[in-house]
Amino acid sequence: MRESDRLPGASGPATCGRGMASSTMTGEQPVTALQSVLLVERARLLRFLGARGAAEEAEDLLHELWQRVAAPPRQPIADPLSYLFRAAENMMRDVRRSQASRARRQFEWHEVAVAPEELPVGERALIARERLREVQAALAALGPRVELVFRRCRLEGVSQIVAARDIGVSLSSVEKDLQKAHRALAGLKAKFDAE
Amino acid sequence: MTEEATDLMDTARLWVVRASEPTFTLWDDFTAWLEADPAHLAAYETALEEDAWTGALLAQPEARALFRQDDEAPAAPSRRRWWAGGGALAASVAAAVALLTLHPFGANLVQIETAPGEHRTVVLADGSRVILNGGTRISYDADGEREMTLAHGEALFEIRHDASDPFVVMVDDTRLVDAGTVFNVVSGGDALEVGVAEGAVIYQGADEPVHLHPGDVLKRDSAHGPVRLTRADPQSVGSWNEGVLHFDNATLAEVAEDLERAAGRPVRAGAGVGGLRYTGTLAVDGPAETVMARAAPLLGVTIRDDGEHWEMTLRNASPR
Repeated sequence: MRESDRLPGASGPATCGRGMASSTMTGEQPVTALQSVLLVERARLLRFLGARGAAEEAEDLLHELWQRVAAPPRQPIADPLSYLFRAAENMMRDVRRSQASRARRQFEWHEVAVAPEELPVGERALIARERLREVQAALAALGPRVELVFRRCRLEGVSQIVAARDIGVSLSSVEKDLQKAHRALAGLKAKFDAE
Repeated sequence: MTEEATDLMDTARLWVVRASEPTFTLWDDFTAWLEADPAHLAAYETALEEDAWTGALLAQPEARALFRQDDEAPAAPSRRRWWAGGGALAASVAAAVALLTLHPFGANLVQIETAPGEHRTVVLADGSRVILNGGTRISYDADGEREMTLAHGEALFEIRHDASDPFVVMVDDTRLVDAGTVFNVVSGGDALEVGVAEGAVIYQGADEPVHLHPGDVLKRDSAHGPVRLTRADPQSVGSWNEGVLHFDNATLAEVAEDLERAAGRPVRAGAGVGGLRYTGTLAVDGPAETVMARAAPLLGVTIRDDGEHWEMTLRNASPR
């Protein structure tokens, strides 16, 4: 069960607008540690949401974030402020994703009339495999360390700091290796998109 | 694309790389960069799309298979390169790197061992993952990945379930048959502990099979001893993988074993300590010194570093 499922009613007393502080003081729920950090750092978080493209929805998103952290976390959180920033970043990604899929649905609605020929499954798998080979070759061309870093971080899901420690290089060189790999992959994406 | 635009995309990709790391803290710098020019946000969104595209590409089963060939398949020529690289690096890094050996005899037996304090994720061809805690050894036949032997230590299994070909973990003579997805196994000496986070596992020991469901924890102290069933929060099963250990009325001797896997050096429960009990959570990320400094007051003991071991002693005991 997710934390949010345990909230005592989604229409809880907490509001996060300008009157946030006063309404929480009169609300029935105690303010969680994350919520008190959110109150103190409200301006920074709003500025981030704005810079991240939230525009006039920034206040609403902060309110949503406030409700999400209404339940005490299941595990101790080392850095509450970073936790809140990360949650805000994830919300912006979700917003963007839902916008994109809405746009795609509308697009596909128009496409249905044309009924494009679907490639046979076998052929599609062949193309996918061929593309993966190209990806692998592009990564190999960047040298064994970039390839190793990419594999550890992106395929095996190891964190960058752990990968850096295992390989014996600094975090910033792992970051730069990943940047190089992503640059090469972006080149391939552009090529595949054009095909 | 102009040189300026190329540079901008590179910077945006670097922010995506940085912000995806869980320990990222430079949110104000990131905000300032986004605010500096409206083009920055657009570049960042494009870099996120590229990143999602890469993620989707790697999520295909073929991706695992292709990259795996390089890494673990015995015949692939490029495997040698990884191995040589790994060996050279291991020599240069104080922390030992996991050992991957292929037996010269027998089929393609793959053995993977982690040093204390080291975590390693093994991705199988079908995308299943086995996450090894420190001080753990597993082996499996590269041609028959649905059966794995846990020689000792602790591993979290996230298995893609296939009812027609169930995944089996062998611990000595005991078979653990996956009837679901995520479960954690600890083996040390003859003792065994199996916790299920999702799905189900069938324990096949000497006696009747035992079906374990999410939140069930099966404990056995000796190879042919009786099994005990307890309950745990399913979300806490395998949480060592997130740097957190949960204990429910565990003896400090058990706590010491778990800390040892995380800390990289033996942890001993001194006289009168091993039988004490602890219920609660310990964070085990960060350097061993920090972990011990945080744990000691919670456990109500003093933890001393004697150069080779960490030793837990009663708080009031005078140093020997």
